[in-house]
Amino acid sequence: MSHDENKRPRKLCFVTIGATASFDSLISACLEPRFLETLSSAGYSDLLVQYGKDGKALFDKLVAEAEKLKQLGVAIQGFDFNRQGLTEEMRVAKGGPGDSEGVVISHAGSGTILAALRMDVPLIVVPNPDLLDNHQAELAEALEDQGYVVYGRLNNLSAAIAGSEKLRKSHKVWPPVNSGQHRRAKGLAGVMDEEVGFLD
Amino acid sequence: MAPSPALLLTLPAFLLTAALAVFLTASLRLLALLPSRRPHPPKRSPGTPTRLLVVLGSGGHTAEMLALLRTLDPQKYTHRTYVVSSGDSFSAERAMEFEKLVGLKAAGRERDGRVAGERGQGLTGEGGAGVGSYDIAIVPRARRIHQSLLSTPWSALRCLWSCFAVLRAPSAALSLPKCSGAASIYGYPDLILTNGPATAVIVILASLILRFFGVGGANARDKMRTIYVESWARVTRLSLSGKLLVKVVDRFLVQWEGLEGVGGRGEFFGVLV
Repeated sequence: MSHDENKRPRKLCFVTIGATASFDSLISACLEPRFLETLSSAGYSDLLVQYGKDGKALFDKLVAEAEKLKQLGVAIQGFDFNRQGLTEEMRVAKGGPGDSEGVVISHAGSGTILAALRMDVPLIVVPNPDLLDNHQAELAEALEDQGYVVYGRLNNLSAAIAGSEKLRKSHKVWPPVNSGQHRRAKGLAGVMDEEVGFLD
Repeated sequence: MAPSPALLLTLPAFLLTAALAVFLTASLRLLALLPSRRPHPPKRSPGTPTRLLVVLGSGGHTAEMLALLRTLDPQKYTHRTYVVSSGDSFSAERAMEFEKLVGLKAAGRERDGRVAGERGQGLTGEGGAGVGSYDIAIVPRARRIHQSLLSTPWSALRCLWSCFAVLRAPSAALSLPKCSGAASIYGYPDLILTNGPATAVIVILASLILRFFGVGGANARDKMRTIYVESWARVTRLSLSGKLLVKVVDRFLVQWEGLEGVGGRGEFFGVLV
């Protein structure tokens, strides 16, 4: 079993579809042979998929199909959901001593996006086209415009991996500094104090 | 025998006048509730017991709210009430975790204060940096996901009813620390902070109804002031809750520049989460 992958530093691609809705098309996209090849050539050693409570059957089926791609050296694992949050998984994707920094591929839920931005790990955001209200797509677009994330498309997730390598280089730190045009910035604490009368 | 023509006329005239009077009084009262007419709060001296009511919602809303509150000063906001929908154990757990952190930070501050004091540098701060108290109030869900529209008014009404009690005082049963007696010190919240879950709309509606009727001094200018923070996920359009509340809350904050001035109200101070 253990041939060349042990020689490489660990580099994790962590895919999360969130807790609320199922997102079969993202599970499929990240287990496509072409995408696995892209991961392999970008130096990834591990692919971890959080597939949600309805995703196990699809995940197992696709992993079985990807069996013949074993020589790519990308170890694939999955789990349904972690009630404690996904911080630990993101930390592994962030890498550390002896490990390379990987990437997080996430549905466009704001909580997951924020967690990844705070963890300062490159992030690919894939909005779910099945959700009625597409405000999540607007968030992903706005964040891509500002250079914080890569907007991932389901039909070409491989391109997003290339984009994430650029993101790693440009490395823009979250949160944005409130300076210049937002000099008035006093934050929520300031507004709260004004409203209850705590004035200094 | 038929009633006299005079009576036939007076009764409708009386009813009409009465209805008009009620309508006018109600409208004036409603207008007075609007944020533009609301007087500024009086200055509050440090150390005044202050109750903050925070509405938590499903996953994303709760996570954002607790991120918004990360700089919360428990010495100013001495009692926190977290409103959680029944069945949402996720939000309740996150709130308790958050409070544990608030306690740890306060303990750290107190330690630092003592060290500074021993070195003879400045003040040691008030003895025993308080973390105050908190409670978790559980209300029936206003609307379950996929709930039929027909039954929504009923569940929303049940939620509204329990919001009145939550607003009146902290719940004694779920107050921490147990001996705080918060239920007797605090009445209406001084400040209500929300970001978008359906429950938030009901809580604000409940506060407006209490203020409308002036129940127990509910319309005092330093009680139940409201701040709505639109979700960071809303870049160009308001959420449904945002649209419903933009004209009625005292402050309306947005987190993307494109929404600044929305509804004539939106204030933008950068990203807050």
